[in-house]
Amino acid sequence: MTDGTITAQAPADHHAIPGEVGVWVFVLGDMFVFGLFFSVFAYYRGLDVELYRASQATLNQNYGAVNTLLLLFSSWFVVLAVIDVREHAGRYATRLLGLAMLCGIGFSIVKIVEYGEKLGAGIGIMTNDFYMYYYIFTGLHFVHVIIGLGVLTYLVSMVRAGVESAGELRIFESGAIYWHMVDLLWIVLFPLLYLLQ
Amino acid sequence: MNMKTQIACVICGAAFVALFTLGWIIIAGLVPAPSPSLDAAAIAKFYGENTGAIRFGLLITMFSASLTIPWIAVIGIQLRRTERDFPVLTASQLVAGAVTVVFLTVPIMIWTVAAFRPERAPELIQLMNDFGWIMLIMTFPPFFVQLVAIGLAIVSDKHERPVFARWVGYFNIWVAILFIPGGLLTFFKTGPFAWNGLLAFWLPLTVFFLWYIVMFFALIKAIRTPASA
Repeated sequence: MTDGTITAQAPADHHAIPGEVGVWVFVLGDMFVFGLFFSVFAYYRGLDVELYRASQATLNQNYGAVNTLLLLFSSWFVVLAVIDVREHAGRYATRLLGLAMLCGIGFSIVKIVEYGEKLGAGIGIMTNDFYMYYYIFTGLHFVHVIIGLGVLTYLVSMVRAGVESAGELRIFESGAIYWHMVDLLWIVLFPLLYLLQ
Repeated sequence: MNMKTQIACVICGAAFVALFTLGWIIIAGLVPAPSPSLDAAAIAKFYGENTGAIRFGLLITMFSASLTIPWIAVIGIQLRRTERDFPVLTASQLVAGAVTVVFLTVPIMIWTVAAFRPERAPELIQLMNDFGWIMLIMTFPPFFVQLVAIGLAIVSDKHERPVFARWVGYFNIWVAILFIPGGLLTFFKTGPFAWNGLLAFWLPLTVFFLWYIVMFFALIKAIRTPASA
């Protein structure tokens, strides 16, 4: 797992770009797709603004706002965990990652309650175009959150085993970058679906 | 060393893309896809007016689909080098790859059946047309599994000199995710998630071809990379 070449050359170029190059390929690729989603939404919204406004008014903005805060806090905990791993050999990282995961689980519970409320009121994916996008975009984002919780679990196991080489640190940072992307996507989704007038 | 045979398998992948484009898109004219919102009469008219081109184009497409067999095999052989004792991801890639060949071939058969007797009841032509398109696009999961298996195997390669560049692994996972919107076509007859829409069709089709280009060069490089400890 730890091999000489990576450890020897890594510290010098380490701060040029956090994480692996590959994770940026993935993150930029994924953000490109969501960018496309948002453009499609904006285009169809432009064709029928009234319907989109009326449907948006039935969303509960509090759920969206609480979830935004939860993800922002979780991202902050992940940042602290990365700093801790880099500078203090991960003394508090397990706890910090645990807090980040709690925020992620909180997000999931709020999301499920919100879906349940909407479905209970008879509003589904076929109700209208606004709700079609609402379910598909938030649903795909939700899948990212679930995968992210798996990634955070993996990071916890990395901390327990000890993040020692520069190569391992880079993998740890890659996981953190993924979680920030999940946060960032929601930060665009929230205003787009809940707030845009 | 059978480097030349392996490179021939990689070239089969390129030949697939060329012949698939020629047969399916250019000659048969099935792309852009006829809208799922068209009525039976319009679909029957499409098959009735282009019968010869559709039959001949699909014959070429049919042949091209099997060229992916050596392509999937050479991916498997190179992927085998990334894994240690128990190459389960390589095995998953092979099984999933075999299933994708089936789901590439059968829709072509179904459209061929539609074009076989274009004079029959329009509803039946429409049924076969629906069947072909839904089967082609909604069966993305085996392809998804194939790409994720490739991606995970590449990313977990612990060799000093990895067989593939790590970003190729992440790229495979990204392409896999882009195929997910295709699963939503069952709900829509218009818009971006319909089978002729931007997100269910054009985006996956574009990255499908992009995947062949990236894997083409990644495989050539892998084949030429000598084994490491």
